[in-house]
Formats: sequence, structure tokens, C-alpha cells
Amino acid sequence: MDYKTKRKIKRIASQVLLWIAVIIVIFPIVYLVAISGSTSNSIRTGTEFQHISIHRYIKNFIEMQKNANFFNYFKNSLIVITITTFIALTLSIFAGYALAKFKFPGSNLFGITMLSTQLIPPTLILIPMYLIFITIQRTIGLQLIDTYYGLIIPYVAIFTPMSIWVMRGFFANLPSELEEAARIDGCSRFQAFRLIMLPLATPGIIATGIFIFLTAWDELMLASVLTTSAKVQTIPIGIRLFIGRIQNRFDLTMMAALVITIPVAIIFFALQKYFVQGMTAGAVKG
Amino acid sequence: MKKTIKKYSFAYLLILPSIISLFIVQVIPSLQGLYISLIKLNQFTFKDFLKAPFVGLQNYFFILFDPNSMVRVGLLGAIRNSAIFTICVISGTLVMGLGLAILLNQNFKGKGLARTLLLLPWIIPTYIVGLLASFMYSYDGIINRVLVNILHILPEPLSWKVGPLTLVSIILITIWRFFPMTMLMYLAALQGISKDYYEAAEIDGANDLQKFWYITLPFLKPVTAMMILYGLIQHIYSFNIAAMMFGLGSGYPGKWGDLIMTNLMRNSFSLWQYGPGGAASIVLMLLVLLLVMVWLKIFKDSITIE
Repeated sequence: MDYKTKRKIKRIASQVLLWIAVIIVIFPIVYLVAISGSTSNSIRTGTEFQHISIHRYIKNFIEMQKNANFFNYFKNSLIVITITTFIALTLSIFAGYALAKFKFPGSNLFGITMLSTQLIPPTLILIPMYLIFITIQRTIGLQLIDTYYGLIIPYVAIFTPMSIWVMRGFFANLPSELEEAARIDGCSRFQAFRLIMLPLATPGIIATGIFIFLTAWDELMLASVLTTSAKVQTIPIGIRLFIGRIQNRFDLTMMAALVITIPVAIIFFALQKYFVQGMTAGAVKG
Repeated sequence: MKKTIKKYSFAYLLILPSIISLFIVQVIPSLQGLYISLIKLNQFTFKDFLKAPFVGLQNYFFILFDPNSMVRVGLLGAIRNSAIFTICVISGTLVMGLGLAILLNQNFKGKGLARTLLLLPWIIPTYIVGLLASFMYSYDGIINRVLVNILHILPEPLSWKVGPLTLVSIILITIWRFFPMTMLMYLAALQGISKDYYEAAEIDGANDLQKFWYITLPFLKPVTAMMILYGLIQHIYSFNIAAMMFGLGSGYPGKWGDLIMTNLMRNSFSLWQYGPGGAASIVLMLLVLLLVMVWLKIFKDSITIE
């Protein structure tokens, strides 16, 4: 066998291997999409693929909403996470910019403190948080448990540190000369930041925003302790109650799972370029 | 002092909001957590926790050394499980991510499609992954059916969710959820390696394995280091997948699959063991800190922090 044929065989083999991997990897997702349009009984008895139909998808969708008031949780998640993303993103743009462009006394300390918060086990701050919230309510009557801002405040602080580092990476790559030129032309510090640096950092801002949104959309532990009523509970809690309430309706549970995944998928596909670029830029440069 | 503050006032103004949020949500609660680990806090003293009796290191003794404490047995088991879990998930995602990145790093038709499909697990929320896994892993579930009836790999269905296989099933589904990120990082790093190196090696008569070992791997070391650190923090504190797979609140995974976070959440919020819970969180943090220091020692040369 000569060199060329050997190379060709290798190429084909590696592609076959890749596509086998693709099939295995997407199988659970295909399964999720498939069985959300099947019946509960057929999922239990292993004949789910024989009962999938468009009619079933619609029926399951309507029943899911009727049985669990699903869109209430969806709305709560959307409100909490949109506000969280907006605030956390603003904070990380400011701090990331400051860290990238100024070498001020305490900047190292600030950066390292930010990073070391990542080492804190969530349970260490969750228990005190819960107690502090209860104490505040008892002493000054301000209710924090089971409110939107009682969830938004911890979320903002928890998702900010990582985002600051990602934003810092983006700003560090932007040339400072443009900013200096704007300063010479009479811009104030803030104007130079807002008019010159901010537009240049747009891809990074989008990437960081998606990163915060996706992580917050996935948060379960804090929400399970800091919320108690359907008024503010987010999707992961809602879906959990949902399983308890209508036992063994696998089809409806999977329909809910599908509906929850769709907005994330849309955001991901629409902004994939920025997201992929952002994640790799942040990590590879370390 | 006053002068520097004035000189850098803009920078300080920019980081001020972050500092405030850092203090409110991370620093103060952490200090309070340290305090809670030193007091006797349970359902009886909970009502007025500032007046709870100070017990010093008793909680630490209780969770680490007390031979009669069931909490200690459970926690040590969970730490062992989490250690196995973290090591397996990190190595699994690294191997799978690198393998697929290498396969993706060539020119062929449908490359973009393959990459997008492989990234898909990444966008499924982890609590959905846990939920889906709990269906797929059930005794009559699709995984057993494929392995037994379709592929004929196994003679009979396995019990994935009860007994010794519990941890294996959590590990497998977690690797599935998290490998895409590693793959993406490796792919970006692979594209940064100049072709010249490989050509020079080929002229010198290097085979594929040698090229991989002496060129590719050294170039990937910084990414590997970052992914290990990221995985360490992410997976030691892993909660969602296991919690959703086995149902929050009720029993959690049981001793075969109990992880540190499921154990701590159950002990603290279902069994009212706040003091021991706080102590365990502190111990855990010190453990992670130690691991990060070991990590720094090993990868010191390949990481440059500007």
C-alpha cells in the first residue's frame, strides 16, 4: 500500500469515527424531542416511538400548561434572569474595563479576590444568605425570601466575577491608542470609554451576556432555598414540583423540558459566532 | 493616599459596584458561614441564630472524627464519591474533547454541521439533563433497551440508578454534558499550531504518534491546565444533574452516588444540620484551595497570567 492510499483510508476512517460519535452524542437530544410528542404509557412500556404524532405534540403542550401553569415559572425565570444578566453585564463591563486599562493600587487584590470567590462552596454562602434574609425580614420587615430581588441580588454577585475576567480579556485586546486619541480630541474619560471602547467591545459584551444568561438559566440550588411560592419560583423548581404533582406523566415532563430548552437553543444558534469566539478568547489567553 | 485615589478615581468608580456586590453576597456571608460553623445551629436555636451557643470546633470534630456521627459517615462517603466523580469527569471530558477536536480539525464536507451537533449537549440546562437521564437510565429505559435488545452488548438490563452503578451513570451523563466546552477550547488551540512544525517533523521521519506526542500535546498544555482548573471547581461543586436525576428532597442519590453538594444540601436544609453544614463547607473550601495550589505547582510554567 502506498503512502497516498494509506492517507486516504486514514481520512475516511477518521470521518466515519467522527460521525459515529455525532450520532451517539445527539441521541439523547433526539430522544428528548421525540418522546415529548409521545404518550406516557408508551414511554413506560418502551413503545414510545410508535406513538409519536403532531397531534400528540400539540395535545401534550396544551395539557402541560393546563396541569402545571408552566408559563408562570417560565415568566419568573425570564424576569429574574433578564434583569440579572443586564445588571451583572453592566458591572462586569465597568470592572473588566478598569482592570484591563488601569494599573491602580489594589487592582491585583481586586482581581484575585474576584477569582477566589469561585472557590467558595455555594453552601457556605447559601446558609448565611438564608439566615440574613430571615433576620432582615424579622427586624425591619423587608421581605427578601420569595421575592424577585431576593433572587436577583445573589445571582448578580455570583455571576459577576467570572464575567469580569472574560470582559477584562476583551478590553485588554483593544488598542489603547484610539482611546488616547479621543482624549486628545477633548473627550472625557467616560466619553472615551462610552464612544470608543464600548462599541469595539460589542462581540465580547454579547458573548459575556450569553454566558451569564445561560449560567443563570441553569441555576437550581439557590432558587430551591430562596424561593417558596409559585409567585417567584423559577423553571427548575417549577419542573420539580410539576413531576411531583402529576406523577408519571413522562410525556408532559419531557414536553416541558423541550420548551425550556428551545429559547436557549435559539439564543445559542443566533449568536453562536460570538459565543464560541468569546469562550475561546477568554480561556485560551488565560 | 489621597492623591492616588484621586488619580485613579475613574477606575475606582468603575469597580465600586462590583466591590459592593462582592461584599454583600460573597464576603459577608462567607464570614458569617465561618461563624455558623462554630455555633450550635439547629431547628431549636434557629429562631434567633445570634444567640445560638458557641461550641468552638465541635462541629468540625463532629463531621471529621466523631466515630458515632452518621453525618460523618455520609460526608466522608460523599467526599470519596465526589473525588472519583471529579477525576473521572475531568479526564473523560479532556479525552473526549481532545479526540473529537482532532477529528474535527481537518477539512471535510459537513464540518460545520458536525461541530454544531457536537456542541448541542452544552446548551441543554443541566437540570433537564438530570431529568432526561433519569428516564433514559431507568430499568426499562432506552439505554438498557439499546444495549440489550438492539446492540446485544449486555445479556440483561443493568440497574443504573440503584447500587454501585449509580456513580458511573452520573459520571457518564456529566461527561456528555460538559465535553463540548473542552472540545471547543482544544479546537481553537489546535488551529493555532502552525503547520510548519508538522512538516518539519515529517521530513525528519516522525510518525503520527510521535507528532502527536512531541508537537500537539505540548502546545495544548495551557488549555489543558485551564480546563483542569475549571473542571475542578465546577465538578467538585456539581449538584444539578445528580439532584434532578434522583429527585430533590426525597432521598437524593443514596450512598452509592451521593456527592458533596447533594449531601450538604440534604444535611443543611432537610435535616437542619446548619452548624455541621457550615463546618463541612469550610473544610471543603480548604480542600479545594489545596487542590488549586497543587494545580499551580504542576502547571506553573505553562500558565502566564498577565
